[in-house]
Amino acid sequence: MALSKDVYKEFEDVVGAENICSDPAIMPAYYSTEFAAVILPKDTAEVQALVKLCNKHKLMFRPICTGWSGMFPKNIVLFDLRRMNHIIEINEKNMYAVVEPYVISAELQAELMKRGLNFCIKGAGTNCSAMLRGHGHMDQTTSGDDRNHLAIEWVTPEGDLVKSGSLGSTDDWFCGDGPGPSLRAILTSAVPPGVTPGVFTKAAVKLYHWPGPEKFPVVGHSPKYTLSEIPANMMARYYSFPSVEKMWNAELKLGEGEICYELMGFNAAMVAANITTCNEEDEAMFNRLSKEVQGPGFFVIIGGNSAADFAYKKKVLEKIVKDNDGKSLKTVEDPEIEGILLCQCIRISASIRETFRPGGAFNSIPIMGQRDLTIKWAIGAGKAKLPLIKSGHIVDDGGAFFGWGVEQGHLGKTEIFCKFDPTNEVAKKAVEGWQKQETRRAFTERYFASTLSMDPDVGPALCNYDQWWKKLVHALDPNGVSPEGGSLV
Amino acid sequence: MSLEQYQADMGMCCRCSACKFIPMQKIKGSSYSYVCPSIARYNFHAYSGGGRINIGSAALKNGMNYTDKLLDVVYNCQMCGGCDTSCKYAMDMEVLDPIYEFRIKCIEDGKTNPALEKVMANLRKNGAMVAGKGERGAWAKGLGLKNVTKDKVDVLFHVGCQTSFNPDMWKLAKATANILQKAGVNFGITGDAETCCGSRAYQMGYREDFLKQAKKYMAIVKKAGVKTIVTDCADCYHALNVLYDKYELKGDIEVMHISQYIAQLIEKGKLKLKKKVNLAVTYHDPCRLGRLGEPWIKWNGKRKQSDRFIFDPPKPYRRGVNGIYEPPRDVIKAIPGIKFTEMTRIKEYSWCCGAGGGVTDSNPEFATWTGQQRIDEAISTGAEALVTACPWCEKTFNDAIKASGSNIKIYDIVELVEKAL
Repeated sequence: MALSKDVYKEFEDVVGAENICSDPAIMPAYYSTEFAAVILPKDTAEVQALVKLCNKHKLMFRPICTGWSGMFPKNIVLFDLRRMNHIIEINEKNMYAVVEPYVISAELQAELMKRGLNFCIKGAGTNCSAMLRGHGHMDQTTSGDDRNHLAIEWVTPEGDLVKSGSLGSTDDWFCGDGPGPSLRAILTSAVPPGVTPGVFTKAAVKLYHWPGPEKFPVVGHSPKYTLSEIPANMMARYYSFPSVEKMWNAELKLGEGEICYELMGFNAAMVAANITTCNEEDEAMFNRLSKEVQGPGFFVIIGGNSAADFAYKKKVLEKIVKDNDGKSLKTVEDPEIEGILLCQCIRISASIRETFRPGGAFNSIPIMGQRDLTIKWAIGAGKAKLPLIKSGHIVDDGGAFFGWGVEQGHLGKTEIFCKFDPTNEVAKKAVEGWQKQETRRAFTERYFASTLSMDPDVGPALCNYDQWWKKLVHALDPNGVSPEGGSLV
Repeated sequence: MSLEQYQADMGMCCRCSACKFIPMQKIKGSSYSYVCPSIARYNFHAYSGGGRINIGSAALKNGMNYTDKLLDVVYNCQMCGGCDTSCKYAMDMEVLDPIYEFRIKCIEDGKTNPALEKVMANLRKNGAMVAGKGERGAWAKGLGLKNVTKDKVDVLFHVGCQTSFNPDMWKLAKATANILQKAGVNFGITGDAETCCGSRAYQMGYREDFLKQAKKYMAIVKKAGVKTIVTDCADCYHALNVLYDKYELKGDIEVMHISQYIAQLIEKGKLKLKKKVNLAVTYHDPCRLGRLGEPWIKWNGKRKQSDRFIFDPPKPYRRGVNGIYEPPRDVIKAIPGIKFTEMTRIKEYSWCCGAGGGVTDSNPEFATWTGQQRIDEAISTGAEALVTACPWCEKTFNDAIKASGSNIKIYDIVELVEKAL
């Protein structure tokens, strides 16, 4: 449904003719649906004006950042936030940065590293919005999810401007909860499905100390960048363990010891994907690593603030690994491989290799929760992949799962990938079936309740949270112009 | 070759936006992080590499949906290949090739750009991409250079359209001739008989015109009996060395860019750079000498889909990393007195000057804007001069300087070498 000339003109008056397009020929660039228009606002005031127009004309809208994923109902107005790409402030003293939605994590991180700082970067990669909420490699240091959003500037689904936390009362961004309105449950909680309605136009993210160099000494050429040397007081290793129990115990002790800059529960397939430059190499490396590991494992980066600090962390790490019969993967001890992983896993630059390169698409069951429970569930969900591997529907990763301890390790993130060819409908259906079955099992066996699923039993089991959420959304969005679904990547 | 051939590649795009930026590990901050001029200037996702191939994918499914906006997207792209290099850091898929095929399809369907049509009319009539006055060999009058149409030489100096027909660029041809003479090279030019190599016709999407031009060009080369061609134009280098090979027209001719040739002459002791040139400089990698200048790789294989897709035999991807990167740097660094500093976006993830893909003709404002971004980056290094290795880059940068009022100087590498002789 195209916009009428008059309505189009109203939108055009807000952003200028160059920044609106309703030509269907360019829409497939975004997604395979028909958008009423794509609009490029340049600032908060323009977003507010656009949202108000959407309400006036009862048009659904959806914002996107770099555009990786999302759900886009037909005929919606798409706000492409490409022009809102400014780092507003880096406050070193109070350790926060304020960004617009289209600042990508790689840009912010590079600025922060120069200042001895870092922030939580989501596993999707540094090519995504720095504002994106989620989990990633550095969760032991930076935690994840709603821990990292401080004050937020939010254009509500009706076009009102809300400033949360300290911004609501002091014009400072240092806190998400006050003095001023917190709204944490609405703005940054993990309540799915999807994201908060409306548009985040600016957000403050929490910053953390970075013990590494101002920039990595990257040498070589794409697709194989290496480090000319391992930065002082830094080390990367992969450890495998004889059993999940031993791995989990080591993970927990390391978390409690607070010595890891990063602890990422890569499996052998993910290590292989990271360090190789094409699918053929990847397959060969996976076969090699599968023989080299003794069981499940994780990848660790330690970074010392001084030689003594590094020596201490290394000693603790080695003791914990030894106590749990862990074994260091020789391949990763090679300084070239160590350098590749060190840089890639801090600068989060190879997620696409892990997810899209082998088959073209992936599906997963991402879980955040009590780590010991999610590990137990993940073992079964991994095994459930084996028939799909055998039938050739998904990439052979040995039925692997992955996950990692967040903060001190009791809290954790678990995720399982199924990588497949998106043009293979049978494979796609098989993966969806696996996803449904394992999500349901998690609920019925009381491991966790995935609120991403459409399982009708989940809401009633969780105090009818879904009904309350619907009421809340209706109150915020009485005209129903801000649909649910997708993530602001 | 056709768009259909790239269906599987286009279907691999996950819209991750890596194609918009330089590789993530190379991003040094909030400035100079983009590799694609088109998305940086026009903002809609359609102007990015990923956007373009998703449109291509939809076209295969639903047919071409020609509109003014679509053609605006198609022709506002320098075909610089930055998207291709950035994507291939992580993915096994072609990006620039299907973008080329989409543009070629537009031309074949008659959905052309009026400004480009004018340029092509001149090519068909005069054998040149530049509507110059006078004769192609006018720059060489009085220099007493050998001519390959009548003299036996070891090396053919191919001058190219921009240098030949733009009197402001004659200095580059003269400097090159002077350098080759000083080094005692037995070289010649084709003079008025030189014809366009076809490079820019190809960039604009006119594949058939490129092929006609390439065949004409190679007929002249074969008649002259030379085995080595040296050119100081990156666009010509790309056509002669890469495209001619791709279309099996190159034969056993050795093609060298002047920066490679000078580097060799210095290494062999045939050229001595003695005079000091006290200048702080930075170097711009022309796209078609750098990432697009890497040799063509002949591969005839099949994509095999099992649990993961692989190629049989393994496909050696052109990822832009084997272009001509070190020779120009070696030459610049060999000049006494030069202080050399790198910019942020270099080598395989260099920012385009703005001239490619016919954009100088179809949208001069966009070409100048793109050049200005590069000028800003050069200035940020503290350089007094930006050195490049292509007359199209030099012209676009000079246009950008005029527009911005900057006082940074632009030199071609041969101009600097000549100063040091």
